[in-house]
Amino acid sequence: MSAIQSDRREESADRLDGPAPAPSAGRRRGLAVQGRYIPYVLILPAVVTLVGVMLYPLIRVILLSFQNVNSYLKLAVPSLDRWIGFDGFSKVLSDAQFWQVVERSFLFTVEVVILSVGLGLLFALLLNRVSPWAKIFVVTCLMFVWAIPALVTGTVFRWLFAGIGGVADYICYLLGGSGMKNHDWFANPTQGLYVVVAASVIWGALPFLVLGLNAAMTQVPKELVEAATVDGANPVQSFRHVVLPIIRPFLLLCTSLSFIWDFQVFTQIWSLRQNSPEPGYWTVGIYLYEEGFTSSHYSNSSVISVAMILLMLAVLVAYIRQVVKIGGQG
Amino acid sequence: MADYVPAKAMPDRLPAARPSRSGRKPGQSRAMTGVWNTIAVVFGLVMAFPIYWMILTTVKSNKDLLTQNPTFWPSHFTFTSYHTVFADPDFLNSMKNTAIITVGSVVAGLAVGFLAAVAVARFRFRGRNPFIVAILIVQMVPLLSIAIPLYIVLNKAGLYDQYLGVIIAYLVFTIPYVVWTLRSFIVNIPIELDEAAMVDGCTRWGAFFRIVLPLSLPGLVTTGVYAWIQAWNEFILANTLLSSNDKRTSMVWLSFYSSDPTHGADYGAQMAGALMVSLPVIILFVIFQKKVASGLTAGAVKG
Repeated sequence: MSAIQSDRREESADRLDGPAPAPSAGRRRGLAVQGRYIPYVLILPAVVTLVGVMLYPLIRVILLSFQNVNSYLKLAVPSLDRWIGFDGFSKVLSDAQFWQVVERSFLFTVEVVILSVGLGLLFALLLNRVSPWAKIFVVTCLMFVWAIPALVTGTVFRWLFAGIGGVADYICYLLGGSGMKNHDWFANPTQGLYVVVAASVIWGALPFLVLGLNAAMTQVPKELVEAATVDGANPVQSFRHVVLPIIRPFLLLCTSLSFIWDFQVFTQIWSLRQNSPEPGYWTVGIYLYEEGFTSSHYSNSSVISVAMILLMLAVLVAYIRQVVKIGGQG
Repeated sequence: MADYVPAKAMPDRLPAARPSRSGRKPGQSRAMTGVWNTIAVVFGLVMAFPIYWMILTTVKSNKDLLTQNPTFWPSHFTFTSYHTVFADPDFLNSMKNTAIITVGSVVAGLAVGFLAAVAVARFRFRGRNPFIVAILIVQMVPLLSIAIPLYIVLNKAGLYDQYLGVIIAYLVFTIPYVVWTLRSFIVNIPIELDEAAMVDGCTRWGAFFRIVLPLSLPGLVTTGVYAWIQAWNEFILANTLLSSNDKRTSMVWLSFYSSDPTHGADYGAQMAGALMVSLPVIILFVIFQKKVASGLTAGAVKG
């Protein structure tokens, strides 16, 4: 957050005295004329690389989705490929499983986004209120959680929720759930996905959300909150009318980011289900992987990829607009 | 659950003009601070518990691991789990593979990204804003959706199942982040320094490498650490773009190790492996704690 803030300051300074030698910048004119090609040379390697590893593959995905490359043979022998127009789309979209997967992904994403952003907000507020030592303790714990790779998170949570020797069962049992010993959390995919996978994703996302939102809140001038309190606002009111408007840009940013991340969740499910998730665990990401790499249905998988990007598009656009606005790039 | 904001202790209608004692805001009583502290500590402990459990599992004996009632402290410490992991010939090899790929993609990403960041920070040129927006869009495209065409492209280029292929593929997330973050570091370096160097006879390029590059070193370190973490932790591309056993990265190794029939139930060894593969990242986080946190929040890209 602080970096975003300082960015904005720089950008405005940038505009004031214009360090970049624009052609009209008077005394810097000579340099600018000679060096007009320089910025293009500087961005060339980045542009070439990104075209190669991002733009070309993206175009290829779209092309593949209109082809019939649904076996390894067709991939290896391109002369067998045919253009089939929207047939691939109608095939995938008329498959009931596709819609189940999409529905599951949306439900999962909504659940995880609401819970993680909500909890993130609550604990960010809490950190503002606690004593310094308590804050340091919590921040330290969160930093360690932040450092854990997603794949390791999945592995650890599979052990926490294991049917034999799993500590989650035992804690539920200690808390009074007498039938919870040796409970198999994964037998029912609904429970496995919406409880265990969700817990692992939320756990991994909270450090970023809590620390980020807390940093955003430190931008709120103390005087404003105090003034609101003096004017008789209760805590909820002063949060709603003083704190919330100030942290709003960052809140929107991390809500849309969480949506983007959670909708394409893959790694945690993959490792929680030991590299072979049952169909009940298939979200869009897993589905397109299974179609593409397990079944070699490259075109079908590309159709799913295109559909996934389209489904995320509204949030993606909102996110990028927000970043551009905050970064003052307009 | 914790209530919204601080001062819950204060009745709604009480005039709040109470003088604040010892720096506390009006309405924040000591008792309530105690309650909030307790909630915060419990939250911290709950968050830290999976990590504690992972570490604890690595030093427990098999007997402890299979009991009906897991213990929160081992009956005795044993390091057999670590022996099991290190006895696996693929483990150290996979760490080496990860190191090669990570270093390669960090160095390449920093080099390419630095140049582009200089362009964006130092010049106003036609296509600058589209370039910046393109960088942002690239950051947000799901890696999974381009995994198949990347596989096809690298296959055709003979780079499938090669370190170089994965290193190039990783540039897709390192370059955008490096450009986006270094840009703000470079903007902060006064342009007068470049100009002074040029007055003294430096070329424009000389000024970049003699003035801007050394001065943006802190930025390079921060972004480098971040890119390192991203590349080290990456799983999806490593899993799809490498196939032979001896080229697997440590994340892919862990995913195979913990799902193969021999070790699938050996949670002690799995947790030891999990801890070992995360250790380089944990160490970096500890060393660069503040910078990483602000860098990650600013770049806001953690998959």
